[in-house]
Amino acid sequence: MSLLKFARNNTKHVFNMHNDTQAIFISSRKLSLVPSFYDQENPAPKFFSSGVQTLLKRLTRPDFAKVFRKRANTNYPVLKTPIYKFLTDEELNVERENANKSADRLLQMPPAVKVNEPTNDVLSKDPALVGYDNSTYMFTDITFGIDNAHRIIVQRSPDGTLQSCDYETRKRLNQIYFPMQGRKLREPKVFSETEKFNSLLDREQYEYILDRACVQYEPDERKYQELTSITYQHLDMHSKFNLLRSTRHFGPMAFYLTWHKSIDRLMLELIQNGTVREAVLLVALRQAIHADLTNEDTCNTLVSQILPRPIQQTKPDVLSEEDIALDTKCTECVDTYINTNSTMKSQQALALQGFREYYQQMVDISRGLKKAHGNV
Amino acid sequence: MPVPPASGTGRYYALAAKSIRLIRQGCTNRPFFHISVTQRKRLNSQPVIEQLGSYDPMPNMNNEKLVALNLERLKFWLGQGAHVTPPVAELLGLSGFFPIHPRSYMTAWRNRRAEKERLEKEETAQSTS
Repeated sequence: MSLLKFARNNTKHVFNMHNDTQAIFISSRKLSLVPSFYDQENPAPKFFSSGVQTLLKRLTRPDFAKVFRKRANTNYPVLKTPIYKFLTDEELNVERENANKSADRLLQMPPAVKVNEPTNDVLSKDPALVGYDNSTYMFTDITFGIDNAHRIIVQRSPDGTLQSCDYETRKRLNQIYFPMQGRKLREPKVFSETEKFNSLLDREQYEYILDRACVQYEPDERKYQELTSITYQHLDMHSKFNLLRSTRHFGPMAFYLTWHKSIDRLMLELIQNGTVREAVLLVALRQAIHADLTNEDTCNTLVSQILPRPIQQTKPDVLSEEDIALDTKCTECVDTYINTNSTMKSQQALALQGFREYYQQMVDISRGLKKAHGNV
Repeated sequence: MPVPPASGTGRYYALAAKSIRLIRQGCTNRPFFHISVTQRKRLNSQPVIEQLGSYDPMPNMNNEKLVALNLERLKFWLGQGAHVTPPVAELLGLSGFFPIHPRSYMTAWRNRRAEKERLEKEETAQSTS
């Protein structure tokens, strides 16, 4: 038995080591995740459109206790004690506004954009310079006030060609002359070595991976999209969506899943947790990106009703009649989606049925309470 | 003497001749140059008017020599009539900012000629042995 196990582990190891393809293999589950890139259609116009941004931010379900949590005390040698103040209502509103603003800053989403294309921009060819030097000369314009993307960076090769640098070199030189905090000149081993990356995935350190990738790479880099797509797929496979809620990465993940039409696990999770309103928002997101739904109008009216209401962090204790009407409409909308577009019909229908029964109980209780209080 | 700041001390006579030159900043066996504008009669050890870039003549691990140029300030000082020394003019020529300096072409063909002679010598040595 132990011999058999040994042989199996060994073959797996060999399989991992001698694989030259792009696919990263997850050793624990023997499943291969194939990275996918935004390389056909440019997703940026849809990602940046105001409707989609609102939906993504709302789906993030920001909980300030998590947004403002202490993440590391590397920058603070001594932790600060909290300050308690007596405030009037106006002052409290001002403080709330400030907190909202800083939360918006912390929750800014890394964009989904198309993969950059290699440039081949030859400025001049001078064969008379062959033999001048064996190394390449890299020229960087360090003029004040030019951003990294538009800086002039050219190279003179030993064969006398003067050309614009490719993307990797540009990034390296920008990092040399204008270093970005946290970005390394050499690629971190976590990203270059598959085993280390997989170990992070197995430990479900999704937020760490995404944060680090966000610093190390630009959003239009191929490597960034490869790493994030694998992380999103791994997370989707294990339905660990709660790990990314209230972080800046939930929006791009939801966008990625919707773009590749694989939102069904997320939808199932939303229905199982009884957040049908967010399920409707997800349906609306799919409509905004793919426009392949039948009940477009009802969906849009529901979204316009849901968005002004406060975010539901926990299940409500008392339901008003308005809430009941809205939630019933939402359930119908999700039901239509499940019947027409879903690929996990049976599971989602079952979950929705469970939610319906639970919700009916809630409705009965709250109506009974009202009756008992004499408020009907 | 304290080391002047990299941005230069900025004290100069407006009508005095300026020169854009390489100023050695590295240590023993490790050359490194600032491209600086300074008064023409001042020594390289004296404070400069302004630093315009840098040049690292030792190839890095990717076999590259790094040159940084502040093109905006370079244009300004050229407009003020600053002289450019040949090593800087060669670098600017290679970068495509100036026409290629004649000395670059000379170095190139001399290197090519030396290489050719070396190869010929090797061939003859092989054929004789």
